[in-house]
Amino acid sequence: MTEEVKRIATPKGEVLVVAEQILGELQPVTLELLGAGRYLADKLGSQLTCVVMGYNLADMPQRLVASGADVVYVADHPELYTYRTLTYRRVLVDLLESLAVPPHICLLGSTTTGRDLAPRIAAHFETGLTADCTELDVGPYEHKSKVDPSKVGLYEECLYAIRPSFGESLKARILGPWKNPQMATTRPGQMTPLKPDPGRQGKIVPIPVNLKPEDYRLVVAETLREAGKGLKLQEADVIVSGGYGLGSADGFQLMYELAACFSNSAVGASRKVVDLGWVPYEHQVGQTGKTVRPKVYIACGISGAIQHRVGMSKSGLIIAINKDPEAPIFKFAHQGIVGDLYQIVPEMIRQLGKVKSEKEVGTVVSTH
Amino acid sequence: MADPFDIFVLVKQVPDQGSKAGLNPDGTIDRAKAKRMLNPFDRYALQAALHTKKTYGGRVTAISMGPPPAVEVLMEALEHGVDRGVLLSDRRLAASDTLATAYALCKTVQWVGRFDIIFCGLQTTDGDTAQVGPQLAERLGLPQITYCQDFKIDDHRVHAERIIEGGYQKLDSELPVLVTVANSYHPLEYKSFRGAWRVQQLLRNEVEQKKYIQTVDLDVIGADPDRCGLKGSPTIVAATEKVGEIGGNCTMHEGHTASVLVEELLGCSNLKEFVKA
Ligand SMILES: Cc1cc2nc3c(=O)[nH]c(=O)nc-3n(C[C@H](O)[C@H](O)[C@H](O)COP(=O)(O)OP(=O)(O)OC[C@H]3O[C@@H](n4cnc5c(N)ncnc54)[C@H](O)[C@@H]3O)c2cc1C
Ligand SMILES: Nc1ncnc2c1ncn2[C@@H]1O[C@H](COP(=O)(O)O)[C@@H](O)[C@H]1O
Repeated sequence: MTEEVKRIATPKGEVLVVAEQILGELQPVTLELLGAGRYLADKLGSQLTCVVMGYNLADMPQRLVASGADVVYVADHPELYTYRTLTYRRVLVDLLESLAVPPHICLLGSTTTGRDLAPRIAAHFETGLTADCTELDVGPYEHKSKVDPSKVGLYEECLYAIRPSFGESLKARILGPWKNPQMATTRPGQMTPLKPDPGRQGKIVPIPVNLKPEDYRLVVAETLREAGKGLKLQEADVIVSGGYGLGSADGFQLMYELAACFSNSAVGASRKVVDLGWVPYEHQVGQTGKTVRPKVYIACGISGAIQHRVGMSKSGLIIAINKDPEAPIFKFAHQGIVGDLYQIVPEMIRQLGKVKSEKEVGTVVSTH
Repeated sequence: MADPFDIFVLVKQVPDQGSKAGLNPDGTIDRAKAKRMLNPFDRYALQAALHTKKTYGGRVTAISMGPPPAVEVLMEALEHGVDRGVLLSDRRLAASDTLATAYALCKTVQWVGRFDIIFCGLQTTDGDTAQVGPQLAERLGLPQITYCQDFKIDDHRVHAERIIEGGYQKLDSELPVLVTVANSYHPLEYKSFRGAWRVQQLLRNEVEQKKYIQTVDLDVIGADPDRCGLKGSPTIVAATEKVGEIGGNCTMHEGHTASVLVEELLGCSNLKEFVKA
């Protein structure tokens, strides 16, 4: 005879997205999270809420409503102008404690901010947190392991936090249905934002800011965003990426030359060459680097390991140059050239240079 | 001069990426099958700890949690010039997630004693979460500086540079503080001659070894076993799936001269559109 499975349902809380802004600039990952959060909330039949912290936030709460939030909690306070671990932590902890029912799900971006803040919140509430997800869903889960008998049963609405897992080409589905909020951070560039609808109705709720003396142990003197100079990998239309096939650090000179042929371009790299010190970390694309989605991604001497692929596979046009026809990158590139990059890339630069001068001539003609 | 600093650095032994580290049916890593190495990110934390000692004076304690072979990474840390190591090893820790790990490490840190600064790696290559550092800071009630790529200490404050998207922050914090070190920080220097020599001596003499490396379990540090391992972990890996081969419709260009190959590429893609005028 089979035993009746114990059904376990937690009180249905909201789906809460923690918004992120840097110097008053709403970060794209927040809109992506609202897109994912909207899907989860609709499936659960609960509300999508969003909390935004900052100073002089102006129409930002309204924009969050337009992008999918039903309720926006707003902490607008001079002390919150720039992100600081302890002050933001305080406001968020206070908010979560003030809710009658804890959120069912709480989401942040896997950004330097989200990865700084989310673990503190999860540790404070002793709840589960899955890092760097690439997919999110909700669904049932039956826990059978008897290690902890109190946990056995069928959980109807748990967060499926899905992320690439160690080494091999595996994806892991991670669950923590025992306690709410079930938390996750998602990798920028992975979730799809909704089309903003300025007509959308939502509630905007100011929340209190009560900082304590110990929250001031950490101060931010300056936040610098290097306009122009900074590497804008995530905003570039064309990324030229170099891997171990370049043979040495000097090879990156060629990557810069190729990148210079395009407008709004940047140079990326695989982890192997970053670890070797050929280029700084901020160039790294992939699981432990940046996720990018340029219109064109040109991979030169990169084998296409899963950890690299997850960071760039959504690029519009992927061109791979590799001398090994069996390289995994040819399994997912759109255009592949089998050959020595030291012959191919200079030739590309030459032919693209011709295109450039044709374009210039074109411009001159059109002004007449 | 001020009191010498007590510097802690947290290092973890991870399966070597190059080796075939299998996953168990329950989604945890089969550590027995895998070759082992020091988590590459922790090399930067180690460098930060040793730099702090060299510049400001003090003593470095390396702390690790893991099965008995993890003592190897403490040995490696000693070779680089760390003063002593503490290994938390206990079967009841198996299958700990980050929250349970941070709990166990918190109890270990408190057992070891007073500290001014704790360095962690940014993340591990197996867990790959970057969560343990901040979760430990939360449990210890500390301020934290994550993604730290440079720092100096004066007047008992840490002045640090922290990477953010498209830039960086300059911040400073009171001590004690927990710092996670980015891999844009200075790479780990070579093993010190003295350190390497000492470890050679230690390997020959178990009594001597115990002076430099202490191995403790949950009972020694007074940790609650129910908050460790599978039982103390709010998350589980419910399923893993192979990521299918995607695409497979790559247009291949091969077997011609470079100039023909590039012409082909430009002919069948819209690459030209992106050329700077
Ligand atoms: C937890 C974890 C996280 C990771 N995170 C990342 C990450 O974020 N990003 C990342 O990139 N990797 C990451 N990796 C590493 C990843 O698994 C690979 O090791 C790495 O991407 C390989 O880099 P590569 O392609 O440059 O080097 P290789 O794999 O060595 O490939 C070099 C390629 O160049 C080709 N080649 C050689 N010479 C030439 C030539 N003259 N012309 C043309 N082609 C040539 C070769 O055929 C080869 O395919 C991670 C690994 C782990 C375990
Ligand atoms: N078992 C462990 N023993 C010692 N330090 C650890 C352990 N797990 C994680 N850490 C520290 O926490 C950092 C982040 O780990 P993770 O959250 O697993 O990515 C690592 O770089 C280590 O400094």
